[in-house]
Amino acid sequence: MEMIGKQKIIKEHKILDSYSHDNSFTLPMQPRLVVQPRNADDVQKIVTWANRTKTPLVPVSSGEPHFHGDTVPSVPEAVIIDLRRMDKIIRIDRRNRMVLIEPGVTYAQLQPALAEEGLRLSTPLLPRQSKSVIASLLEREPTLVPKYNHTLLEPLRCLEIVWGNGEILRTGDAGGYYPTLEQQWEMGLAQVFSGGPGQVDYYRLVSGAQGSIGIVTWASVKCEVLPKVHRFFFIPADNLKGLVECAYRLLKVRLGDEFLVLNSASLAAILSRDADGIQALKNKLPPWVIIMGIAGRDLFPEEKVDFQEKDTRDIVHQFGLELLPAVSGIGGGQVMSTILNPSPVTYWKLTYKGACQDIFFMSTLDKISEFVNTVFAAANALRYPVSDIGIYLQPQHQGTACHCEFNLPYNSGNKIESDHVRELLDTCSEALIEQGAYFSRPYGIWADMVYNRDAGNKEMIKTIKGIFDPNNILNPGKLCF
Amino acid sequence: MALSRDAYRALEDIVGPGYISEDPAVMDSYAYQWLAETVRPNQSKFMPRPEAALLPGSTKEVQAIVRTCNKYKIKVKPYSTGWYFYGAPLTEGVIQLDMRRMDRILEIDEKNMFAVIEPYAIAGVLQAEVMKRGLNCTVTGAGASCSTLVGATCYHGSGGTSIYTGELRENLLGAEWVMPNGEILRTGSIGSGCGWFCAEGPGPSMRGIVRGALGARGGLGVYTKCAVKLSPWPGPVEFPVEGTAPAYRSPLPGNFRAYTLAFKDWDSLFEAYYRLYDNEIGYYAHRQWTMLGADLGPAFWMLYQDPTKSLDDIEEFVQKQEVKEFTEEMRRSFQLVLVGMSQRDIEYQDKVLERILEETGGWKVKKWLEPEMEQFALLYLLRLGKKNLNFVYTGGWVGNFMQVGTPDFVKKYRPLAEDATREYQEKGLLVDCGSDSMMGCVGSISGGGNCGLEQFGFYDVADKVSTAAAVEWMKHCIQEEAMHNIPPGKEGMYLAVGKTHEELQQDLAKQPATHTWQRKIKQALDPNDLGDRMYPTLDER
Ligand SMILES: Cc1cc2nc3c(=O)[nH]c(=O)nc-3n(C[C@H](O)[C@H](O)[C@H](O)COP(=O)(O)OP(=O)(O)OC[C@H]3O[C@@H](n4cnc5c(N)ncnc54)[C@H](O)[C@@H]3O)c2cc1C
Ligand SMILES: Cc1cc2nc3c(=O)[nH]c(=O)nc-3n(C[C@H](O)[C@H](O)[C@H](O)COP(=O)(O)OP(=O)(O)OC[C@H]3O[C@@H](n4cnc5c(N)ncnc54)[C@H](O)[C@@H]3O)c2cc1C
Repeated sequence: MEMIGKQKIIKEHKILDSYSHDNSFTLPMQPRLVVQPRNADDVQKIVTWANRTKTPLVPVSSGEPHFHGDTVPSVPEAVIIDLRRMDKIIRIDRRNRMVLIEPGVTYAQLQPALAEEGLRLSTPLLPRQSKSVIASLLEREPTLVPKYNHTLLEPLRCLEIVWGNGEILRTGDAGGYYPTLEQQWEMGLAQVFSGGPGQVDYYRLVSGAQGSIGIVTWASVKCEVLPKVHRFFFIPADNLKGLVECAYRLLKVRLGDEFLVLNSASLAAILSRDADGIQALKNKLPPWVIIMGIAGRDLFPEEKVDFQEKDTRDIVHQFGLELLPAVSGIGGGQVMSTILNPSPVTYWKLTYKGACQDIFFMSTLDKISEFVNTVFAAANALRYPVSDIGIYLQPQHQGTACHCEFNLPYNSGNKIESDHVRELLDTCSEALIEQGAYFSRPYGIWADMVYNRDAGNKEMIKTIKGIFDPNNILNPGKLCF
Repeated sequence: MALSRDAYRALEDIVGPGYISEDPAVMDSYAYQWLAETVRPNQSKFMPRPEAALLPGSTKEVQAIVRTCNKYKIKVKPYSTGWYFYGAPLTEGVIQLDMRRMDRILEIDEKNMFAVIEPYAIAGVLQAEVMKRGLNCTVTGAGASCSTLVGATCYHGSGGTSIYTGELRENLLGAEWVMPNGEILRTGSIGSGCGWFCAEGPGPSMRGIVRGALGARGGLGVYTKCAVKLSPWPGPVEFPVEGTAPAYRSPLPGNFRAYTLAFKDWDSLFEAYYRLYDNEIGYYAHRQWTMLGADLGPAFWMLYQDPTKSLDDIEEFVQKQEVKEFTEEMRRSFQLVLVGMSQRDIEYQDKVLERILEETGGWKVKKWLEPEMEQFALLYLLRLGKKNLNFVYTGGWVGNFMQVGTPDFVKKYRPLAEDATREYQEKGLLVDCGSDSMMGCVGSISGGGNCGLEQFGFYDVADKVSTAAAVEWMKHCIQEEAMHNIPPGKEGMYLAVGKTHEELQQDLAKQPATHTWQRKIKQALDPNDLGDRMYPTLDER
């Protein structure tokens, strides 16, 4: 323990308890203690100590509430390495539109700081207040602007990683010829390029890894120009199929900025403050809606928004649909101010019934209708109210892929209800996988389902884990090791 | 060192007698490589001769070959379109896999905008097919004749349209890889049997091992299929072609523009790069015409339009007043193609460009605004079917520098590239076409933010003195870069092909972490050392 030196160590039962469970069905497990490093050096010391003492480490960067079971220890005697004290915004570079941040930096903290420099980040849908930007990007949470999603990992670029074996590597062009960040800055470099160094894309190895390959101590992230003009529109529809055809056409030519599809339950949950409000609004809203933000950022912002609005309207009309500034009394401005900001303190998914289970995976837009049918059929069979199911579709990678998410709100105090949801989660996940849904981020029960179907990747991941974390120190028991 | 008869027969059994050869004349045709003369003893134009060449027809055959090579401990070197000398064996005792039979486009998913391709599907063919569906692919700077799969998995992957259509590294979706240990890995969604649309996962993304900033360049297994993301093409289903050889032209509709933008000084030019990034205009943005030299290039491009003229007439052209003015007008320039997804879009982009030019004091070079010149530019730049022009002056060229970074960084080494070249041109050892013969992407990745400048040097492949000077020039550039705290450029990669093991180890030791991790990965995936040092690793001490 002396290796950890002066770092803050927490052993209080109450706090340890808070790390031992989350909002998922993951079995609770009490950690041994919590350490709060201040810098990469501290992190490296902890990892070295953990290797010596064979202590499992669970990295955590965001505050509560947690949802995916990935920050709850899977094995006894684990130490939580809580990175929230590392919350510095190291550098904002307006000219190159890059920001360098530590893992404890949240969206709520970063966005105003960027705005002062004329920048912003595209975020996931209403991240909770305590959500770490780095953790979100590392876990490949989808962001709202598909055209800026140049790859699935965007806008994440360069990282500093402490591997499971305790060695440090800087990735992308931060890991090239100039050893220090200061030298890179002096040469005009800004940690822009994510590839390498050399012939490996290291940053991809730690992505989607639930902290089990390396611990990231800073990251560079590509920013957008802060919009000068920004308007939101709705394209409502009664059925998903027609809407999807229209979405394809708009996405293809990269019209618009924010671009997402929500069903009425999901949009109501986002816009309402309480359960009654959700219930009432849900019934008023159209079953499906594309929400589209159009931004003018630098030169002639009004004209940019104006022509994009017209072009969008032309396309939408071809599909017999309409581009509207408001729907069911909800204005674009209200949606904009809601979805461009972090969630209110009560996380929006919890407002309706206090608890919520998500099922999410990746696919292409043309397949989504079939998946919706599967989930609805399973819900009906288990007498879970279909009208409560929130659905969020986020086109990604400039429209090549789509994140598909089902939110299943429930009352966790009601044993029967939570048992039903648990069963629904199990049966739906199996059925969806069978049907071709790609669970690219296999949390919890999904890990076995996914890796048992993909022996090639499973073997390769084990090989890579063996190279970078030979003692299996980092978050053991989460994936396939 | 011929293959043992057992090994030969085992390999022959896999592909059949028609698709294997060890005929010395055939083997020499594989060994004969551009740039070989810069690294081989006595300026030989031959890389080491392969022991045999095989033309596999399927992934299964590739896997069987790799397994057989493991059994007999034979090194394997794959090669798709084969434009670079490092696709050839680097030592004796290697078999060459020639992938030309695997040349299919397996799938074009129009809606989800990707294509699944085999190694020998070249960019020109892929582009022609996807254009029929209103889509386009990234054609790398290597041009339309090169393998798209190689750009996506094995080498670099940027091109003139990367700012809009992405670098192939970014566009790589699912990939199928026969690893050196004989196992097959399918990365991303295809590994789970869900289609090719997604590169990452499940969980930690093994796409990261498939390639990094660079691919494994044949040093770590064989890629047999991959999917690449496509981009919109709001133009005709095929290029309309007019004019006579060599300068064919494509009159494209009113939503297309091709400009050569010039600036009074370099700072303004790089400022314009930043302004383009922030304003998100441009479909193609690249410094292309200057690759033939700022002094001689403009004369060449004019002469090229006249089918009655040849390179012998260039002296006469250079003297013309019109050419002199043209040369000065476009001295510091790059090419920008604007493509509107709609009429309103192109009008908006044009307006933004006007404002950017006002801000930076730039202008549109007049000659390139003439309809015929513009139509030539559109076909040339968007299809890039004329890569033989790289060789036009003397039959040999090499590209130095090309360190990629922000415009503010690239700006720092640009003068060095000129200084390090001038004396070689003045002495007549490289073609004296102007000490700025720099080309490169304005935005090498999707959305811009990074760029690079590659300094061309044209040497006479038939002349030993000129060839030796090209090698000396490369070494000189490395020295100058080191003195100015600039990393070695592409010339370092070329020369590395000819280095001894010890020399290379010294270089690799300068970035120990990268090359140690690569060693560990190679040890795990290539236990019998089938690959060569194009996937370089630092020796264990
Ligand atoms: C990047 C690059 C790398 C290369 N690397 C190599 C290499 O490693 N090894 C190698 O061997 N070559 C290499 N080449 C050369 C390449 O193989 C030649 O470009 C090719 O052989 C000539 O094809 P072309 O389409 O360019 O021919 P063209 O330019 O059409 O013609 C080549 C010559 O043949 C003549 N010709 C053409 N058609 C006819 C005809 N019908 N009748 C009579 N004469 C004709 C032309 O006048 C010309 O002199 C490389 C070329 C490039 C661009
Ligand atoms: C004139 C010129 C300009 C260029 N400009 C650019 C540029 O602007 N941007 C850019 O990104 N690149 C550029 N390149 C490099 C270019 O990307 C590659 O050469 C090209 O993409 C691949 O085609 P190739 O014919 O060289 O491939 P090959 O020579 O067949 O292969 C290149 C490497 O990949 C390996 N390889 C080939 N096929 C396979 C396979 N199936 N599995 C595993 N390994 C394999 C080979 O062993 C070799 O080391 C340029 C090259 C030339 C000659």
